[in-house]
Amino acid sequence: MGRKVNVIGVGMVPFAKPGQSEDYNVMAAKAIKTALADGGVEYAEVEQAVAGYVFGDSTCGQRAVYDVGLTGIPVYNVNNNCSTGSSALMLAKQMVEGGIVECALAVGFEQMKKGALASAWDDRPNPLNLHVNVMNESQGFTSAPPAAQMFGGAGREYRWKYGTKRETFAKVNAKARRHAAKNPYALFRDPLTVDEILASPEVFDPLTRYQCCPPTCGAAAAIVCSDDFAKKKGIGNPVYIAGQTMRTDYESSFGDSMIKMVGFDMAKNAAQAVYEEAGIGPEDVDVVELHDCFTTNEVLTYEALGLCNEGEAEKFIDEGDNTYGGKFVTNPSGGLLSKGHPLGATGLAQCAELVWQLRGQAEGRQVDGARIALQHNLGLGGAAVVTMYRRD
Amino acid sequence: MGKDLRFDGRVAIVTGAGQGLGRSHALLLAARGAKVVVNDLGGSKAGDGKSSESADRVVEEIKQAGGEAVANYDSVEDGDAIVKTAMDAWERVDIVVNNAGILRDKSFKNMSDADWNIIFRVHSYGAYKVTKAAWPIMNEQGYGRIIFTTSAAGIYGNFGQTNYSSAKLSLVGFANTLSLEGQRKNILVNTIAPVAASRLTEGLLPPAVFDALKPDYVSPLVAYLCSEESDATGGLYEVGGGLYSSLRWERTKGKVFRLGREVTPESLRESWSQINDFSETEHISTLMESLGPVIRNVEAGPSKGGNELIDVDAALGAKYPDVVSSYDESDLALYALGVGAASDPNETGDLQLVYEGASGGMKALATYAVMPGVNAFLGLAKEGVTAPGLNYGLDRVLHGEQYVEVVRPLPLKATLTTKSVVKEIWDKGKGALVVIGGDSYDEDGDLLIKSEMTMFVRGAGGWGGERGPSAEVNLPPDRAPDVVVEDAIPANQALLYRLSGDWNPLHADPDMARAFGFERPILHGLCTFGYAGRRVLEKYAPEGNPDFFKSIRVRFADNVYPGDTLVTEMWKESDQRIVFQCKVKERDAVVISNAAIELFEKLPKPKEKKSEALATEAAEEATVEAMAADIIAAIDQHLKDNPGIAEKGQTVFQLQLSDPDSVWTIDLKGGSAGPGEIAKPDVTLKLSEANYIALQKGEADAMKLFTTGKVKVAGDMMAVNKLELLAEMPFELVLEKAEARVRGGALAPPPPSAPAAYEPLAPTLFEALAKRLEEQPRLADEVGAVLQFYVRDPDSKWVVDLEHRPPALKSGETDGATTTITIADADLAALGSGEATAQTLFQKGKLRIDGEVEPARRLNFLKGLI
Repeated sequence: MGRKVNVIGVGMVPFAKPGQSEDYNVMAAKAIKTALADGGVEYAEVEQAVAGYVFGDSTCGQRAVYDVGLTGIPVYNVNNNCSTGSSALMLAKQMVEGGIVECALAVGFEQMKKGALASAWDDRPNPLNLHVNVMNESQGFTSAPPAAQMFGGAGREYRWKYGTKRETFAKVNAKARRHAAKNPYALFRDPLTVDEILASPEVFDPLTRYQCCPPTCGAAAAIVCSDDFAKKKGIGNPVYIAGQTMRTDYESSFGDSMIKMVGFDMAKNAAQAVYEEAGIGPEDVDVVELHDCFTTNEVLTYEALGLCNEGEAEKFIDEGDNTYGGKFVTNPSGGLLSKGHPLGATGLAQCAELVWQLRGQAEGRQVDGARIALQHNLGLGGAAVVTMYRRD
Repeated sequence: MGKDLRFDGRVAIVTGAGQGLGRSHALLLAARGAKVVVNDLGGSKAGDGKSSESADRVVEEIKQAGGEAVANYDSVEDGDAIVKTAMDAWERVDIVVNNAGILRDKSFKNMSDADWNIIFRVHSYGAYKVTKAAWPIMNEQGYGRIIFTTSAAGIYGNFGQTNYSSAKLSLVGFANTLSLEGQRKNILVNTIAPVAASRLTEGLLPPAVFDALKPDYVSPLVAYLCSEESDATGGLYEVGGGLYSSLRWERTKGKVFRLGREVTPESLRESWSQINDFSETEHISTLMESLGPVIRNVEAGPSKGGNELIDVDAALGAKYPDVVSSYDESDLALYALGVGAASDPNETGDLQLVYEGASGGMKALATYAVMPGVNAFLGLAKEGVTAPGLNYGLDRVLHGEQYVEVVRPLPLKATLTTKSVVKEIWDKGKGALVVIGGDSYDEDGDLLIKSEMTMFVRGAGGWGGERGPSAEVNLPPDRAPDVVVEDAIPANQALLYRLSGDWNPLHADPDMARAFGFERPILHGLCTFGYAGRRVLEKYAPEGNPDFFKSIRVRFADNVYPGDTLVTEMWKESDQRIVFQCKVKERDAVVISNAAIELFEKLPKPKEKKSEALATEAAEEATVEAMAADIIAAIDQHLKDNPGIAEKGQTVFQLQLSDPDSVWTIDLKGGSAGPGEIAKPDVTLKLSEANYIALQKGEADAMKLFTTGKVKVAGDMMAVNKLELLAEMPFELVLEKAEARVRGGALAPPPPSAPAAYEPLAPTLFEALAKRLEEQPRLADEVGAVLQFYVRDPDSKWVVDLEHRPPALKSGETDGATTTITIADADLAALGSGEATAQTLFQKGKLRIDGEVEPARRLNFLKGLI
């Protein structure tokens, strides 16, 4: 076991629609400066930095931190699809954990174009081709956005397996919007009814447009440090990482199940490892930020994380166990559905929300007495990062 | 290799865990992280005495190894106390391994009530008590794993163990049902039949075997079955000495007697080998499956009877193999000569039946229509092919009646496929009547001839069945015949007629004829039939044209000898119907009675030769080979005709074809297609020209070509699906371009042709469903919901109410639907025919479910309706 790792500073910029944001380096610098100020840390104290982004030429990470300072520290650029942000966080955490540094910076940012995700490389195998093959075998290929086909298809398989109503998925975004109404960082804060969500144009049954997160631009950052460093900064009771695991695809991803293809087993195994590492099971978790890129994935993730038994998500939702007053508050920030999903920033934005929750700084969306928080960030291709945060 | 199977956080109860198998199970589960209740009464192997020593020892062993365990010393008969130990210590029970057991082996002769009862108390009642106490806890948890321990002695029997075998096998039944009750709550129940050297078997086995049968070989199976990963339930496993195998029931197809048939001990004796024939078997795993043959027998309805010569149930409706035959002008001419046509070539009337150069053209003598059916039947009989249930030989058969009808005049040559079926069977007392229907279809599969051959089977009746219709048809009216024709039958006529196909020696061989009780070879009944038919057509068909023939029906009353004089008497009942009968002048015997010929009022139009037309078309088509250039030209035009495609497409494809090499661009952004690189591609596809053409024709599967490396995709693979937008382009457009290229000029646009009309199948399917529900109202219980169907392309609406009784089905809409299904007519038909399952259609987005999903998951009950 390595050293305890604390998250003493977090920051993010409000996310924006493509074409309406500042440039990536500007957004990233703002997020880093906010995180540094939050932790009372000087940039000169940062010994190494990890920068996560998916779209952009090489060394965008350096360009982003150079706007904050030119201290010559190592900067690593990380790309792990939609789980890029938490992958950056995990590397920074490992540096502290392993005693290599006392203080490290993780930053994630994304400046996206309009429209569904597409590939930039036409002369080599697409990294998702194994995943696409599974989908092709199971349901063929249509002209809908590929990610919606994958997560929508997993939703179909889930509905068939457990007899889940179409409305159940829509309820997830109705909840997300309710939560987002209290979050100044969320992009979509107007409430939506289940009927309105169901009535929006169909993207890929059971997903309607309001059940898919849109491409977004944004940045978020976190400062991680050792106990000694925190003490030096006078932080007596910091939020710390009680467990963190990344899992990539298993053989089961490439069988005949869409649910498994979109990363169910990665998430399940990562969560299990985190519960074991922290010695804390899901029943003790107070608040969760999970990867709701599509409503169907939020439903699957309840079960992968063990928030409810497999096949019981509908009951879990209907009984209000995913919101204030229930067993867990999931995505108090409004999630990817309401905040938007700048691929590189998402994992660190989830981290920021949970740190605020554990410090009691989440204002109107504060989960009362939150002490244990869980984060789930998933990228197809694939990687699932699950992190547990605690504040004693 | 997957992750190690672990039991961290799980609580297991192992009964009889102080020694042997139980101890081994407990140690393994504990080593893998389970918290274990080690139960052992500490008694002797016969179940006497009690001590805490052995359980404590195992608990100590587990703790030494770093595991968690508590001891319990209660008898399994006090299962509540054992489960309480687990709850007190850890507040849950995930695993129950019912292992405790004792022996009281006695030959049955020496068995006492006490010996019998104690074995049942420990094995059967004990397993019940422990499981019963754990059950509500597992239900609450939504998780449980239960193991019962049975024995090969119970499954196969073992001398001296009647008590033990019966108690042990009772657990198999227990587990079978409990596994069903536990499934919904993720409680999995399995039974093992271990062979292991344990306290109970010590002294029964030779030392070498004893050593090989260590409990260590059994416990891994218990652990696997109890793991979270396993989803096995209701299983029965034989295990030990290195063997791990699964046991299931096997049932012979057996013998099914139709309901209403008398079943006697003798009929079972006769069927005994069939009842015990394991060459064809089924493996039954549910009660419903077990009842399957019974339900099918009930559905088949009561038996229609029969005897050893005729089994009506088996025979009625039985189909004979298809027989293909062909004929041409020479066969027609030979037949006409065989029935006495053109006996005087100077009488030119009959020449048209035998001479291809006849003025006005040759015509088929229409009664030839009887030949394909009869010859098919005779041909099959000669090969020994008969319908199931018709177990008599041809020696019992008399040709009783014959009916033949043509749909249109016989062509001068044809290749026909004749499909024969057993249409009717009647019990005439001493004999039976069997009617074989034979329908002949032409080269295009269009029906040309319908026929019915009625056979009297001597000595085959008397099973008390229905006698069938007895009304006399085609009786001559009460007046002198309108026309009488005499034919002197030449002495060699049978020898000539038989060349048309009926080679029965009775008509040629004097010895054979005598053996059958005739003084000499007799004329074929169908030869007489041909004579009479020819004469009727000659007199009454307009201008003697045999093409006016529509149908003929006759009854064969007596036989005719070559050399006899045949008298055909005819009564014109209408312009289209002539009743007739035939007599032999010399004996004044009626040989054909109850006979009539029907004529067409107007000549049906001769059929256009569809197959020939198609062949010509195909030949023409073959001269114009589609090339990639034609496809691209067609796509270009298609894109210009349909600007919407480019709007949706927004992708540029480059095709790099090989053999021969060429490069093409399909620009779904700009809405054009042409040679070379006309824009920067988003996606590049590399494949051979032949494969590309096959793909475009729909003859090749894109995914298959892709996975076998015959298509290489570079660039934005996700955008490949946009090519689907071109799927609607008709291939005819490509052929047009190809023809235009070959002819070197533009082609006039073809006249618009209506698309082939699609016949909606929903009404057929729902009609069949209504019928099935009427016959099997219990089907509705399986669904128990109101289903609203919205069928598309073409649209129709249906309400299937399987919730209320009786179940109801109507077209239209309802407010009270539990589940709404939206599906295309063609996909619904695929469900009905079993070509698609509801699950696949749903996953592909072709079946939309609103409301409750559960009833839709049972949609496969539509299978078999089409």
